[in-house]
Amino acid sequence: MTGVLVAIGLVVVAIVLSRVLALGLERELAVTAIRAIVQLTVVGLLVTAVFEHLGLAAGFVALMFGAAAFTSSRRLREIPRPIVAAGGAIALGAATGLIPLFASGAFEVTPRELIPIGGIRGAMAATSLTGRRLLDDVQGGVPLIETRLALGAPVQVALRPLVRRAVRGGLIPVLDQTKNVGLVTLPGTFVGLVLGGADPAEAARVQLTVLLALLGVELVAAVTCALLVARACESPGQRLALTGRVDMA
Amino acid sequence: MRLVTRPHPTPGPDRPPTRLRPVADPPVLEVRGLRAERGGRVVVDGVDLRVDAGSVTALVGDSGSGKTSLLRCIVGLDAVAAGDVLYEGARIGSLDPCELRRRVALVAQSPVMLPGDVRANLLYAQPGADAPAALASVGLDTALLEREAEELSGGERARVAIARALAHEPRVVLLDEPTASLHAEAVAEVEGLVGSLASGGIAVVVVTHDRAQARRLADSELRLERGRAVPAQ
Repeated sequence: MTGVLVAIGLVVVAIVLSRVLALGLERELAVTAIRAIVQLTVVGLLVTAVFEHLGLAAGFVALMFGAAAFTSSRRLREIPRPIVAAGGAIALGAATGLIPLFASGAFEVTPRELIPIGGIRGAMAATSLTGRRLLDDVQGGVPLIETRLALGAPVQVALRPLVRRAVRGGLIPVLDQTKNVGLVTLPGTFVGLVLGGADPAEAARVQLTVLLALLGVELVAAVTCALLVARACESPGQRLALTGRVDMA
Repeated sequence: MRLVTRPHPTPGPDRPPTRLRPVADPPVLEVRGLRAERGGRVVVDGVDLRVDAGSVTALVGDSGSGKTSLLRCIVGLDAVAAGDVLYEGARIGSLDPCELRRRVALVAQSPVMLPGDVRANLLYAQPGADAPAALASVGLDTALLEREAEELSGGERARVAIARALAHEPRVVLLDEPTASLHAEAVAEVEGLVGSLASGGIAVVVVTHDRAQARRLADSELRLERGRAVPAQ
């Protein structure tokens, strides 16, 4: 309990810092922390029951997926039906990791392994980062994009460099995390297993499997999200949507 | 039917001075009753325009009069609320938008250079094009080919943008204030280039605030005020 109180104290420090530095993140930090406390408390209470029944575990994974899709879609509000783009990207990304890992027998299809190995968190992070980056770049790069259109390029060709940049940006966290694993950070799965009494070598093997799988999960999620967002930025007649151009002449 | 003055026969003792004469050839580009809206506001309202091959048309008017919006509608970058734009007699809605933009090239005001050097800019639209020849055609030294496009001066950028737009050998070139913020020497170079394009059979539409420039360059003039065509002054 002391640890939780100290961590809450750190959140308060972050909120104060945000206020002092005029970052405007106070409300989001507070809401995020409160959400995490409530969600993990509820999960802690439910997890015992969920771990006992595969059906409940599947329902729990579906709930995780829905929450992740909703969270990412809030970053993509400018496009029509953002929940479809976010949900599609997360589902495809997570499936990329889940299917080979469970089909090959690397993990058993049991509630205890299905829930933490889902890969939804990584897919959500890549989706949010990639989609947001692409939308920002499109909105900030209208003159350059329309220059390409005026030279006869289709919208998707004109957006291609922005799509590539957004995907690269969306993968920075997982790439840095994987490069520095064991050096700068001890990732959650490893720490959890070791604290739970597992052999550190076995914990490292599980963590390595998860981390490497996440590279594929996040790449697929990021690419899917970028392609869906790019498609949403196109209007009929090879026009750019979301332009917000100011007419000066 | 519009009255134009091109071609310009040289007046002589046995030839009457240039007079307006009817043109029977179909226009390469025609705008009929065009209306466009932006954010619920009418920006172009019932504009007609006829552009013939080898002619120069000046589009004049104050800021916010709808000149840029008209050009954007012609190449399909903005939607048309009412009216028609016809390229070689065909409604642009029936044409492939990308192909239309290759045939009707738009050079924006303050043209944006694509990332990379001048050669990359010239080859973007047509990778197999002759980049040195394209650069020479707008009066620039081929030594500029390897220069980062972002480092070019205003006049060089304007001419590279025109050379880039010519890669597909368009029949119409729309120039949105091509000499805005250029010094006098660069203005003269760009104006000379406009004349060369028209002499080569390309129809040129030039947006300008400068009425003297419109008179120097153009065979005909369309004046816009608050989106509507008004008689030229």
